[in-house]
Amino acid sequence: MHDSDQKSNSAAPAASDHTAKDRKPFFAIVFVMLLGLTAMSFWVANSHLMDNPKMGWAAMMAISTAKAMLVILFFMHLWWEKSWKYVLTVPVTIIGVVLVLLLIPDVGNRFATYSKTRRTAAPEPYLESLSAEPFTELSKPEPVRTEQLPTE
Amino acid sequence: MNSPNHPNLSYQPALPISNGKLALWLFLSTEIMFFTGLIGTYLVLRFGAPEGTWPSPEEVHVAEWIGAVNTFVLLCSSVTIVMAFENAKQNMPSRAKKWLWATIACGCLFLGIKGYEYASKYNHGIYPRFPRSLMYDRADLTFLDGVKLETSKLIKEALSSPNSAAVAELDGADREDGKGEDELQAGHSKITLVVLEQSHSQMTTAEQLQLVQSGLVKWTETKVGRTDDPTMQKLAIEGLAYQIYPRAFPEQQAQRIKKFFADENIETQQRLQTLSEQVQQRQKQLQVSQTELSTLQADADAIEDAGQKKTVLANLAKIKNSTDELTLDITRLTVERDFVAGRLKAMKTFPVGDGGGVNEKHHLKLPMVIPSGNTWANTYFLLTGLHGIHVLIGLIIFACLLPMRLDAVRSGLVENVGLYWHFVDVVWIFLFPLIYLF
Repeated sequence: MHDSDQKSNSAAPAASDHTAKDRKPFFAIVFVMLLGLTAMSFWVANSHLMDNPKMGWAAMMAISTAKAMLVILFFMHLWWEKSWKYVLTVPVTIIGVVLVLLLIPDVGNRFATYSKTRRTAAPEPYLESLSAEPFTELSKPEPVRTEQLPTE
Repeated sequence: MNSPNHPNLSYQPALPISNGKLALWLFLSTEIMFFTGLIGTYLVLRFGAPEGTWPSPEEVHVAEWIGAVNTFVLLCSSVTIVMAFENAKQNMPSRAKKWLWATIACGCLFLGIKGYEYASKYNHGIYPRFPRSLMYDRADLTFLDGVKLETSKLIKEALSSPNSAAVAELDGADREDGKGEDELQAGHSKITLVVLEQSHSQMTTAEQLQLVQSGLVKWTETKVGRTDDPTMQKLAIEGLAYQIYPRAFPEQQAQRIKKFFADENIETQQRLQTLSEQVQQRQKQLQVSQTELSTLQADADAIEDAGQKKTVLANLAKIKNSTDELTLDITRLTVERDFVAGRLKAMKTFPVGDGGGVNEKHHLKLPMVIPSGNTWANTYFLLTGLHGIHVLIGLIIFACLLPMRLDAVRSGLVENVGLYWHFVDVVWIFLFPLIYLF
């Protein structure tokens, strides 16, 4: 990156309108808000909202999104940028959201089409374990009698 | 813009930002897609795991507060780098440099805490490993076999390691020197007997492992082999899993296993009593027949008459035969009795559900049952590892900035590096609840 290049660009509109203003106190406020939101998600994780986990997860994701927005808008100063910002952020957001949405049916379908073979090899929660079908191919080890134990 | 005489043909970029910034934003868009893919895959694995199997943070030694501290550290570093940028923009290079140093300090602290976390995972055996990790999805025969193999391997290692004596010293601080050496020597050849007589604090790692091998693993194997009831077989193996690593068990199941063990313990004690009595009885019989045998032998030697001698010899052979049978019987019963005694000793040494089980109280690193534990470890290390690599790269770039004068001319550079660093922070903002709080 050439210095002259930098200079000519820092004179470009992006920095021109706000260079004079001191944003430092503003960043302090954003920082405190971020800390508050972190504390909030920590609180949600240990509160009664987690009695219904879906509520808790949704709340925590909402808080995370809020935090991410604060960082992106103010620390990454997209808030003050010109409209070029939409060229990159909008497509990426759309693709990102679509990707996650496309993955959701997979999550749902995993249970709907759980084959028996897969069930046998799947991790098993302990609570179900006694009611669930026992392992079928049980090879019986010989009762251990000729153990290498002392004979006295 | 244009002067009337000389048209000022200046280069007009497509976007009103520097090329560097444009390139960085393009790079960040690909990074966003990269992490969206990763986090999306994590969500599929996390919520697609059979219900109730995904390990809770406590089960895999994830401390929420450590994650929270790391979030705080990273947020601080975001503020410091933005301050560095503001100071550089206002042409205050020395202040900018100070803020940059603060950012580097925060980044290093983050990685340090991450390293500490990784170390604690490693110490508890929670990591993917070739050819098989220590985590098993269910308590079945594969798991039982895994414990058996791993225990044998560990015993071999413990016995061959040169500092096994030193370990022994550490384990039994209060043991007397000479005696300790003797016991160690004896422990290697005739382990169970020594183990039976020792209290827990005096046992070496190898001895503990051998006790696990005979008192827990072989016992469970025998128990599974001797019953046809699948529920009992399952309960026996789950009991072993619970004894090794109780963290992953829900309370209800833990209670069931504790009851199972309590019942079994009473049964085992009775069996030990019966077996001891049987052995004593057989030994008495043996003594009687042995004296009978010696008198008959003496008689046979004294008798001259061929016909009479033949009957005595036949009688002698018969008694000898029964003596042999009795000896064999005693050997069998003694082995069985010691096996049962070894079980009782093992249950006393490794109390059920006490102090985090065999693995955590005795640091033996045996295979454990953590449903979906492997998938958890894979996703955990992949997500936090890739994020950690991003932090590391950020730190390297910061280090490259250090020798520079961070004035207004360089503010564009500081801004670009800062954008990357904020992105790393945004990724962590999502990873923190997903990994530590969900």
